[in-house]
Parts: sequence; C-alpha cells; structure tokens
Amino acid sequence: MQNAASAGAEAPILSVRNLSVNYGAIRALKGASLDVYRGEIVAVIGANGAGKSTMMNAIMGDIARAGGEILLGGAPLPARSYQVVGAGVSLAPEGRRVFAPLTVRENLEIGAFPLSDRSEIEEQMQRVFNLFPRLEERRSQYAGTLSGGEQQMLAIGRALMAKPKVLLLDEPSLGLAPIIISEIFKELALINRTLGMTILIVEQNARKALLLSNRAYVLQTGNITMEGASGDLLNNPEIEEAYLGGRKK
Amino acid sequence: METLLQQIINGLSLGSVYALIAVGYSLVYSILLFSNFAHGGFLVIGGYVCYFFLGGYFLSNFFEGGVGTNIWVAAAAALVGAGLSAVIVEKLAYKPIRERTPVTLYMLIASMGMNIVIENIFVVTIGGRYRALPSVIPMKPVSVLGVATTSQFDLLALATAVVFLVGLQIFLSRTKWGLAIRAASYNLRTAGLMGVNVNRLISLVFFVAGMLAAIGGIFLSARYTLYPQLGAITTKAFVAAVIGGLGSLPGAVAGSLILGLAEMLATGFVSSQFRDLIVFVLLIVTLIVRPAGLFGKSVGEKV
Repeated sequence: MQNAASAGAEAPILSVRNLSVNYGAIRALKGASLDVYRGEIVAVIGANGAGKSTMMNAIMGDIARAGGEILLGGAPLPARSYQVVGAGVSLAPEGRRVFAPLTVRENLEIGAFPLSDRSEIEEQMQRVFNLFPRLEERRSQYAGTLSGGEQQMLAIGRALMAKPKVLLLDEPSLGLAPIIISEIFKELALINRTLGMTILIVEQNARKALLLSNRAYVLQTGNITMEGASGDLLNNPEIEEAYLGGRKK
Repeated sequence: METLLQQIINGLSLGSVYALIAVGYSLVYSILLFSNFAHGGFLVIGGYVCYFFLGGYFLSNFFEGGVGTNIWVAAAAALVGAGLSAVIVEKLAYKPIRERTPVTLYMLIASMGMNIVIENIFVVTIGGRYRALPSVIPMKPVSVLGVATTSQFDLLALATAVVFLVGLQIFLSRTKWGLAIRAASYNLRTAGLMGVNVNRLISLVFFVAGMLAAIGGIFLSARYTLYPQLGAITTKAFVAAVIGGLGSLPGAVAGSLILGLAEMLATGFVSSQFRDLIVFVLLIVTLIVRPAGLFGKSVGEKV
C-alpha cells in the first residue's frame, strides 16, 4: 500500500474544497474538503446521514452545490452531470440503480454514452467482461433479473464504461451478503491495481472500506473530522469505538 | 361479413392514426411522468402548417398569386413545425417547473394551459372557421379482395402510421439516443449520471412526439376539417394510451387499435352515435379491471 499523497510533487487528480450543500434549511455538507491522488483508493466513512452520498451527488452535479469548488486535474469540474461524466468522473450510485428493463449489454452501452468510437466502446466492454465474467455470461439478460451482487457488478462496470479518470462508488456493499461484499471489494482492489483506476469510495461498512483504501476521511454531520492513512485509522481507538464496533475497552 | 371486414379495415386505419398520437402521449409520460395535454395543440399546429404550405400562403409575398407546395414539402414542414413548437412549449412551460419541483402535477396543469394558449393563438390570428385541406390525399374507394370496399385514404393513413411507428421502434432500439430514451424512461436522473444531457433528451422526445402528432393532424384535418379545436380529438388517443398503459409504447399502439376497431364496429353494427359511448365504456372497464392498463407496470398514482 503506497501512499500517493506522500509522493509530494504531484497535484491531486480530484480535489474537493469547502464543498457545502443545503437541502432547504438543512445544511447537509458544511465545507468539506478532500483530495484524491492518481492511482489511489480513498475512502470516506461515516454514519448514516453524515453527508456521504450528498458529497458524491454534489461532485456528480446531480444536486446543486451551495458553495466551494471541485477540481479535476486542476481544472474546475463542470456543474452538470453529463459534463462531469464527459470530463472523466463516473459514479456507481447508491442502491446500484441499474436500468432493469434494459439488458446487461445495453446497461454497459449507456454507461459509455460520452464515447462515440464504436471500437473503443467494444474494447472497453471487453475489459469490463474480463473483470466480471459473470456479466458476460448474462449479457443478454435483463438487468432486473440479476442478483443484488451481479447488479452491483453491473453498476461498477457501467461506470467504468465511460473510461473515467476517477471512479466514484457510493455504498457498494449496501444490501449485499457478506460473502458477496468480499467478492466485490476484491474486484475493486483488482480494478485499482490492473487498470490503475483512481477510486473514491464512500461506505458505511468502515472496516471493509479502510482495508481496501490507502487513505480515508471521516465525515461527521457534514464536516470532515478526521483524515489519515487507512491503516492508522483502522487502529485508532476513536474510530474503533465509533465505526468498527469497538471490540475491547 | 362485408361490413365486418370493411369496418375492421376502417377501424385499423383510424386506430393507427390514434396510435401516432397516443405514442406521443406515452413517450412524454414515460420520461417526465405527466400527461401532456398540450399534445392536441401540436396536432393542430401540424395541420395548419400543412394547410398553409399547400395553399402557398407563405410564399405569396414572393411569388405572384402564391405558389402552393406539394404535399411532401407541406407534410415535412408540418412535421418540423409541430416538432419545434413542442420543444418550445417544453422549454417555456415545463422546464421551469421540472427544475424547481419534482411534483409532476404542476406540469399537467401547465399543459392544460398551453393547450388553451395554442388553440386561442389560432382563433385570434387566423380565426376559428373550419378549413378544408386541398384534396391532396386520394380518397377514391378501393376494393379489398373483392369483398369489401374501403378508401385509398384509409389505406394511406394505415400505411403511413405503420411506417412511422416502425421507424420510431427502430430509432428507439438501434440508436444511441434511442437507448438513452429507453434508459431515461426507466430513470431520468440515472440516465443523467451516465453522461446523457437530460435537457437535450427531453427536447428530442418532445420533437418526436410533436412530429407524430403532426401526422395525425394532417390525416385528421383531411378526414374531417381543420379548426383550432381539432386537438380535442386527442382525448381519444389519450384514452387509448391509458387503456394500453400510460408510458408503454406497445400499450399505446394496442390501445389505439382496440379503440379504433371498437369505434368502427360500433358504427357499423350499432350506430355511429354509440362510438364515443363505447370509447369511454372501454376506458372505465379497463380502469376497473386493470388500473395500470394492458401493458402498464406501476399502479401508482398517475397524473
């Protein structure tokens, strides 16, 4: 586990600065900042309602920002969803949200919407099929007929289809059996290693997320309250108490 | 027997014109989850554009006496004109609403308003009188298999509707934007997360719906006459879309054919005064037996 942040010279590929989001009078994010460096896996952990999904949706332009800025490779990230995807950030959303009445193949094709070169799309689809052979077996099946784990694979594969520079994952473990979660997380490590994919993941399953990631941030009621190398956070008694079930005292 | 076959052909012809209109209702419903009651307005716009192009009124400033265009040019202009007006109506009336609230009921109400606006623009500017389209669509009787007679007009309407419905199906199933529309009809926001420009997609859907309505407008104004309230006839197409299941395109087509057949069979075997009664009886029975419609998926609240 190398820490790209300590490499120093390189600027972060994705930089979120003082991001705030309001839902009416409720301030869901109150100036959260984080950096993601090329090739890293960064996790954001936090309880239900801490603002994790809000942060993802705000980066994607799916909900409006109230303040702050988001930079991709040093340039401001556009505000509208379709421009964000075109710029190189894709999301596998919370709850998977695959297109149930479309086939697996069509789901992947729609993921490649910003690409126009037919052969490039086919190439990328083959890459996704290599990562998830199960999707290739079920390519002609309707996405709605897949199991939860397969749907999560499809959601991740679909996000990869646009050839993102940064892959965002919102609660990939949600509603899945522990054995399936392990499989998904193994796959994520592989995507990071073999494709060199930069990943920002938000997770309630803090232990899994910390084991997977290089660095992590703790989000608490709209504020980043702690950050550090994932290994350190894993052994931090405060984190253990609050997010890892606090085994011993 | 003769009457039966004849009325079946007439019913299919009428139903196919309903289908063009009903599909427009369903397309818009599937993406934005409201019934666009300004749809009749698009139909009327298509009818008038065709009428004025055929009469050469647009060119009369440039040519002595005016030169009427042929039906192909007039129809193309009608399709584009109605398509663009549908896009404009969406931008003017629905976009400001959908950007502020997820409650689709407000768009439904706005669409009723836009229908009145379009109707009255015609009443105020060119008057409410009935106009007959120049006889550009052949109406001669044709004998079918020697046992029944129908008109060239009915066969032409049927053929045109089939061509456009098949074309729409090919567009939806084979093209990139067609795939995007199918994805968006399942979940618009998620489609946006895939990099689809949602506003452009909605404009495209309205353009297509407006175009299809214009074809309906041309055939209906040739069959009956053209007047600003002709759009009211889309009520029947709307009923057909509801019977088939709002938001489902196969449902819209099936519902339209059922309705067209029911109307024509009622006319042939009972009395033409029973046509509308049959239509609404069918609607009520469907809503009682299968509230989501024949091909409908959700039984949630529909507006």
